[in-house]
Amino acid sequence: MTGTAVPIVMRRAGDDRLSSALYFLRRNPRMIIGGTIVLAWLFVAAFAPFIAPYDPIKVVPTDSLIPPGPTHWLGTDDLGRDVLSRVMWGARVSLSVGVISVSIGLLVGTSLGLAAGYLGGKFDLFVMRGIDALLAFPALILAIAITSALGPQIQNAMIAIGIVAIPAYARLTRGQVLAVRAREFIVAARTIGASPLRIVMRHIFPNVMNALIVQATLSTAFAILAEAALSFLGLGPQPPYPSWGQDINYSQRYLSNLKWWMSVGPGVAIFTAVFAFNFLGDALRDALDPRLRRSGS
Amino acid sequence: MTTYILRRLVLMIPVAFLVTIGVFALARLSPADPVIVFAGEDRDPVVLAAIRRDLGLDQPVPVQYVAWLSRAMQGDLGRSFQTKQKVSEAIIERLPATFELGLAALGISITFALVIGILSAIKRNSFVDLLSSSITLMGVSFPTFFLGVLLILLFAYVIPGRIFPPGGYVPLTTDVSENLRRLVLPAVTLATASLALNLRQVRSSLLDVFGHDYMRTARAKGLRERTVIVRHALKNALIPVVTLVGIQIGAIIEGAVITETIFFWPGVGRLAVQAIPSNDYPVVQGVVLVSAFSFMLSTLLVDVLYAWIDPRISYDTAAA
Repeated sequence: MTGTAVPIVMRRAGDDRLSSALYFLRRNPRMIIGGTIVLAWLFVAAFAPFIAPYDPIKVVPTDSLIPPGPTHWLGTDDLGRDVLSRVMWGARVSLSVGVISVSIGLLVGTSLGLAAGYLGGKFDLFVMRGIDALLAFPALILAIAITSALGPQIQNAMIAIGIVAIPAYARLTRGQVLAVRAREFIVAARTIGASPLRIVMRHIFPNVMNALIVQATLSTAFAILAEAALSFLGLGPQPPYPSWGQDINYSQRYLSNLKWWMSVGPGVAIFTAVFAFNFLGDALRDALDPRLRRSGS
Repeated sequence: MTTYILRRLVLMIPVAFLVTIGVFALARLSPADPVIVFAGEDRDPVVLAAIRRDLGLDQPVPVQYVAWLSRAMQGDLGRSFQTKQKVSEAIIERLPATFELGLAALGISITFALVIGILSAIKRNSFVDLLSSSITLMGVSFPTFFLGVLLILLFAYVIPGRIFPPGGYVPLTTDVSENLRRLVLPAVTLATASLALNLRQVRSSLLDVFGHDYMRTARAKGLRERTVIVRHALKNALIPVVTLVGIQIGAIIEGAVITETIFFWPGVGRLAVQAIPSNDYPVVQGVVLVSAFSFMLSTLLVDVLYAWIDPRISYDTAAA
């Protein structure tokens, strides 16, 4: 009997990871669609100075109110400024407000949630009443109040939206901490003498990560929408600097002349950016939540 | 029940206290000196000192807070720097317009959410279900102000005959038909965002209820499908929807801020927006305080209502 030699295929771990990532993406088309649009907007925001066809704030009176066409794909406004260039530069404002305000909310909210959940007692009570007080304000009203108090500037809009985002992270993190605090591996870490900081950072925080990633993606969508709303109300970046919300507000005075392109460009930009982050967030939630994965919903 | 309500009220006190501190602190964050804003053109130091004294701004901050709080608790929210009108009066004057807009929007939102939500849950993966998913997805991502602008463009300028005017308000008591004509576009605009949330809630609650044993029992008893859905499924599925709608009623002012601005609707939201450029902080402060408290009260009412309409919730566990 001649034995047939079975070839042993040595597979590298990297190949496995790549194929499982591809398999995962194939099963989650929403992640591909959302992720692609998000990446496209990030690219536009990062390279706006190089890819925008015109200077977004340069006034060209001879090019006033040109409808969309080959020279100006999204038309021009009453001052002859190219709408496409303003939309591209506006992406820098919207996405930077989105990322920075979400970072503020994430950092402060997660720290408070971790500390409140782990320490418990009076600290927990005090922090959570503060969070309840923040939640008592309707989100947009609070953002408007903070921005109007601090002054209409992009930095203040970031701070305002960041503060509004804090409660969601704090509650989410605290809930997750309470869920894992009594688990065996935490008790074991405590038994071997790990410090509270080490327990929180090395053992509890990784368990909260998935939920935080999902929350961060969804709250970026909210932050872009909130920034656009603040800009629409004149509480974001000030003219002549481009901002999607402010440009829509400005376009209103030309609606009666049917100069629709001035509002459609920035409006579609806001919609696609918010839609992409919402879509990506929903897909991530489905993918990272083991209960949803099992149910296949 | 009474114990539960009292317990919720007691729990609300520290939160309400923190909210008042927050609202008071917000006004003090402003870099603009309220005395200069109030004085307008008059920069005479004697006049400025008198105004500072009159406004109580020469007192230590904690004293100012206590004075402000005690006045606010009696309904006195100060006077507008711009118009010198009492802030509480200005808010009360504009509340009917805001409520009219908010309730009309909520009516549209609930009606469409129920009809489309029920149909999409009954006929899963059908055209209606696809429509429902699209509305949900678009509604949460579409900026209200962009929708408002598109509706104005379409109905006031593109379609001949100006079916609906681009903005403005006529009181209901003056001319009912003109009031309703001007209400349509802002109400539809405002309804869209909440429609997405309500629709998702109706559909998912119904799908959840459909999986329960009592639904199978109802069908096994030979009840008509209509009775099964209306009497058994909907009754239970609408409990979370009631919660959501209750919270939306409390957030009417928030929702109306943008819509009122686009459509020149003279409500509370527009009052706050108009006060911002002139640093008229008593007005902004008043609107923020009123909207925060209406939001808190609606949350409380929803909790109580939830415990009352759902017999499975015992007051003890709900309170815990």
